Amino acid sequence: MDTLVVSLLNGVIYGLLLFMVSAGLTLVFGMMGVLNFAHASFYMLGAYFAYALQGTLGFWAALLVSTLIVGAVGVIVERFVLRRVHHHGHAHELLLTFGLSVVIAELVKLFFGNYPVNYRVPKSLDFAAFAIGTSEYPFYRLLMGGVAIAMFMLIYLLLTRTRVGIVVRSAIYRPRMAEALGHNVPLVFMGVFGVGAALAGLAGAVAGAFYTTNPNMAIELGVVVFVVVVIGGLGSLEGAMLASLLIGVITSLAVGVDASLADLLGLVGARSWAEHAGGLLTLKLSSLAGTIPFALMLLILLVRPSGLLGGKA
Amino acid sequence: MRTFRVLCHTLGPVLCLAAGLTFAAPVKIGLVETLSGPQASSGLAFRTGVRYAVDRMNAEGGWNGESIQLLEYDNQGGPAGAADKLKAAIADGVQVIVQGASSAVAGQLTEDIRKYNLRNPGKEVIFINVGAEAIDLTGDKCHFYHFRFTGNAQVRVKALVLGMKQSNAIGTRVYSINQNYSWGQDVEKAIVEYAPLGGYQVVEKTLHDVNKIQDFAPYVAKVDAAKADTVLTGNWSNDLLLLMKATKAAGLKDRFGTVFLDQPGNLANAGDLAIGHFVAHTFNPEVGGVEGERFVADYKAKTGHIPVFVEPQAAFGLAMVGDALKRVKPEGGVLNTTTLAKALESTKINTPVGEWSVRASDHQALLPIVVSVVSKDAKFKVDDTDMGFKPVKVFSATEAATPPEASCKMQRPN
Repeated sequence: MDTLVVSLLNGVIYGLLLFMVSAGLTLVFGMMGVLNFAHASFYMLGAYFAYALQGTLGFWAALLVSTLIVGAVGVIVERFVLRRVHHHGHAHELLLTFGLSVVIAELVKLFFGNYPVNYRVPKSLDFAAFAIGTSEYPFYRLLMGGVAIAMFMLIYLLLTRTRVGIVVRSAIYRPRMAEALGHNVPLVFMGVFGVGAALAGLAGAVAGAFYTTNPNMAIELGVVVFVVVVIGGLGSLEGAMLASLLIGVITSLAVGVDASLADLLGLVGARSWAEHAGGLLTLKLSSLAGTIPFALMLLILLVRPSGLLGGKA
Repeated sequence: MRTFRVLCHTLGPVLCLAAGLTFAAPVKIGLVETLSGPQASSGLAFRTGVRYAVDRMNAEGGWNGESIQLLEYDNQGGPAGAADKLKAAIADGVQVIVQGASSAVAGQLTEDIRKYNLRNPGKEVIFINVGAEAIDLTGDKCHFYHFRFTGNAQVRVKALVLGMKQSNAIGTRVYSINQNYSWGQDVEKAIVEYAPLGGYQVVEKTLHDVNKIQDFAPYVAKVDAAKADTVLTGNWSNDLLLLMKATKAAGLKDRFGTVFLDQPGNLANAGDLAIGHFVAHTFNPEVGGVEGERFVADYKAKTGHIPVFVEPQAAFGLAMVGDALKRVKPEGGVLNTTTLAKALESTKINTPVGEWSVRASDHQALLPIVVSVVSKDAKFKVDDTDMGFKPVKVFSATEAATPPEASCKMQRPN
């Protein structure tokens, strides 16, 4: 029972982290119709900026400043790089963001080296929130989850309850019509891109201290984030939230399940045959935990290509 | 050679006679390593060690009066890239291939080289493996022109288990967690195999995806549920760091026995939680006395840092090659690699930690293994922290050795 509670909590909080990164990605997709390959790079930049600044500014200020810097980087990228190729079509934008992700990764290696850097949870936050059974639950995980929930509430309210939100939503779904009504759509695009980048940067700054800050973190998380966006439905914020939680909880629970197909066949008396056949049949579910999100994505693409909550086909 | 002959026909015999007299090809060593991309950090570490060793060989006069050339090829992290670069290297006249990072790449290279050697008798290429530790490279896949100058899963785990046991650190309940590919599976097998030796019980075994998991908290929940004293793992890089951090975050007091904890950045990133964890590695600057200090000082002078992680084994492996080359006479001005391979089989060098040699039956190096513990008392601090690796036990090559794989059926040249 304890294990189940811990697993669920772990899964939910990891899911919330995934959401922090994928929120910006899905918004940008809704807006431009292009998956931003460099999005996870903003996550990495957030972590490295926070690492570089924490010495002089302290942890909290570094968190805030690095978020703003990454947001500014996002704005610059949209205004001076992406916008120039916009009229060439999606393929160019896609290639550009891909190139950008490589450039950012190499720049990070150039300045901070090939190995993980010394970015850690500050001592004042490094304590157990509560204990379940024998294991303690770190406070910092709860903090990460709290930041993600606060962020979700904020964006959700911003998009659904304010005038800015109305303009943004209309610019995302019907850019030409919004423009015809006198709204500055390029400005909206730039703003959304910047905010999306800033969100990823914040996620990186928060999570980089808990996990590791290294030049590969963009690649490692980037793939899962794409999976989240595809499962949730491209462009849907609520979908991204749902998919993130789903992936977090499923992978977390799967780790605890040591059953294999052979066990299932054992129910009909074919266990010895299955164990003899080996291969896929004796593979434990727990060893596949990291692969499950991808299988889930395949399944979603087969039965519901627009994603769980995706509006656009 | 073909272009040379064509040149002979066109330029006339006199010129060629003159050329023939001085035609002595310098020995070319080709490093086919991961020099770019996400896994470049380990490839670059191997390169540092190899460069150091080749520079030393040349400082000692090279071979046959000429400098040994080191050519570097970027395999871009995968077997496909490595296969391409191997062809390029052979076309460039490389006779000795060196590689270390990734057993998957080594598997490709060793097979390609075996086939090339079958098809091109008299022009054999030697493969010096300085870091790929999957068992089958000296088992199923072993062949006469492959040499492994590093440990393997069994050697590392055996030393680790014995070293931890002697420090009363292994406990009775061991949790085995490894990456789900050849290396991780080999380590898991070895952990089970050495259970009687270490006097522990393997309470649970877990294999997980390689470099794909960000959040190890669910795995830690399993470790906790299994009530393990010790976690033994062959994990490297992020998979090791994240696992250790998640364990600490959950407040567990498990001790870790590892193989790759000495990778740069690990201690800096893990912080104090690394203290008390063990590592089985091929070198520790604190052992080896005066000789060791000289090596460390010289290495630092040449490369800018003390030898860490996989660098010493790459340097020692290449030093073996250098030593064997001294005893190989040029045949018609060129190096005969079959003679070199035979010379390697009988090569013995004294490294600061002890003697290195090669077992002729499977070409696995017999090398000493140092078991160290992360401590603030260590003489050499790493990563700008106040911690370092304090040696607890040095196993000589004989003590560390494990029996050769029965599956190795090596065909020797006549």
